[in-house]
Amino acid sequence: MSNVLVELSNSMAAAAEKAGASTVLVNARRRMPASGVAFAPDLILTADHVIEQEEGITVLLPDGTETGAKLAGRDPGSDLAVLRLDKPLAKPAETSPQARIGALVLALGRPSPEGIEVSLGVVSATGGPVRTPRGSIDRFIRTDTTPFPGFSGGPLVDAEGRVVGVNTSGFGHGIALTLPADYAWKVADQLAKHGSVQRGYLGIRSQGVDLSAPAQKALKREQATGLLVISVEKDSPAEAGGMIVGDILVAVDGQPVADHDALFARLAGDAVGKSAPVEVLRGGQPQKLTVKIGARS
Amino acid sequence: MNVSVLLDGALDELLERIRPALAVVMDRRRGAGAGILLGNGLVLTNAHVAGRGRSLQVVLENEETHPAKLLASDPDVDLALLEIPVNGHAAAVLSEAAPRPGEMVFAFGHPWGHRNVLTGGVLSAVTSLRGRHGEIPVLRADVQLAPGNSGGPLLNMAGQVIGLNAMIFGGDQSVAIPASILRRFLGEALKKMPGKRVPEGVL
Repeated sequence: MSNVLVELSNSMAAAAEKAGASTVLVNARRRMPASGVAFAPDLILTADHVIEQEEGITVLLPDGTETGAKLAGRDPGSDLAVLRLDKPLAKPAETSPQARIGALVLALGRPSPEGIEVSLGVVSATGGPVRTPRGSIDRFIRTDTTPFPGFSGGPLVDAEGRVVGVNTSGFGHGIALTLPADYAWKVADQLAKHGSVQRGYLGIRSQGVDLSAPAQKALKREQATGLLVISVEKDSPAEAGGMIVGDILVAVDGQPVADHDALFARLAGDAVGKSAPVEVLRGGQPQKLTVKIGARS
Repeated sequence: MNVSVLLDGALDELLERIRPALAVVMDRRRGAGAGILLGNGLVLTNAHVAGRGRSLQVVLENEETHPAKLLASDPDVDLALLEIPVNGHAAAVLSEAAPRPGEMVFAFGHPWGHRNVLTGGVLSAVTSLRGRHGEIPVLRADVQLAPGNSGGPLLNMAGQVIGLNAMIFGGDQSVAIPASILRRFLGEALKKMPGKRVPEGVL
């Protein structure tokens, strides 16, 4: 018999199967294995906290092939790590552009050689940027799926089997979060290329301040706070761009900067090397500067 | 028509069909579990629900209560076969399809004594557990279960039995004995009892 319920069930199973073909077992700690998701034939994205050893890492592919892997890069701030496989035989996952609140999702893992494990839920919330114990993340997804043991590093997938994000329970307090796929892929790309995540650098020290009513009016937008520049490092990108002590930083790259978290978010990802428009309040008047964002060492 | 309306309809239909095949298995001293009616008076449940089979009673959906006889029991796979002295009641159908992780499932039973409660989730894993005599294949699902779900069916979306809920870890992880093992247990048990058989189309 076939009805809409059976069809839905079949499509969920097909989604799990499709994403399962890109979900691998990651053996890099003494306790139980964890999971990973392939984003290139030779590259596996997984959770940083499940990598407890840099030597002797192995990955079990869905077809049963076991291969050695090297740690290509890791970013404790976002709890992401990239492994490079000795045998480039993984099947890269297809990603999903967005996570809609309420959408049906499956959390997938491969914590044992017996096969994939799956848990069903919905997208409960999206948010970010947020501080993590060892850094910060731009955005996150929360779901009500059950993170079974060994699910960290595995994908969250939509009803079509596309990867919505990477799951981790590595931020402590037993909370499982999902890093959105586009963000995770961007971090993964940097980890594969540079071994670490490059974070942008301006060369200022700053302090959050309230904007006066006339200053807010001059900005012509709803922004109540900015960052008062209290020092500018010599030979820094900020100095080269013309920033001076006393400026109130209010926007970077066209996005309002109301606090430090917002500034970090603007300096994350692929900001390094970019000539970005920077807006400051100087003497109460908005001024546009251009700063070539440097790399924080 | 809206998909959710179609889903609702399909759900109602499934529930109507499966509800008469779910029984309560009671032991005067040890509380109650669930059981699946297979036709010809046969009831499948957990060995830990049936116990030694003394003073067992089976309550049908229409509240008829019947004394039940323990025909066979295998604690290794936690399965027991009971017989009640009535015939012609509804019967569940065992799935023949291979279980697929990610497929949707319903658990049906009497958690905490609440009758006929349906809980939903997906089949999480097709795996195995170490028993006393080696590994036994099991199904894991992320459905919410509680004591009283034991012996009840894990159903696929066609309303067929893909497993018998056996072990409840609490929270949202359950372990079910797969249909393949149910078939094997029934086959072996019925072979020793000439004259008793499961109606056609059930297994």
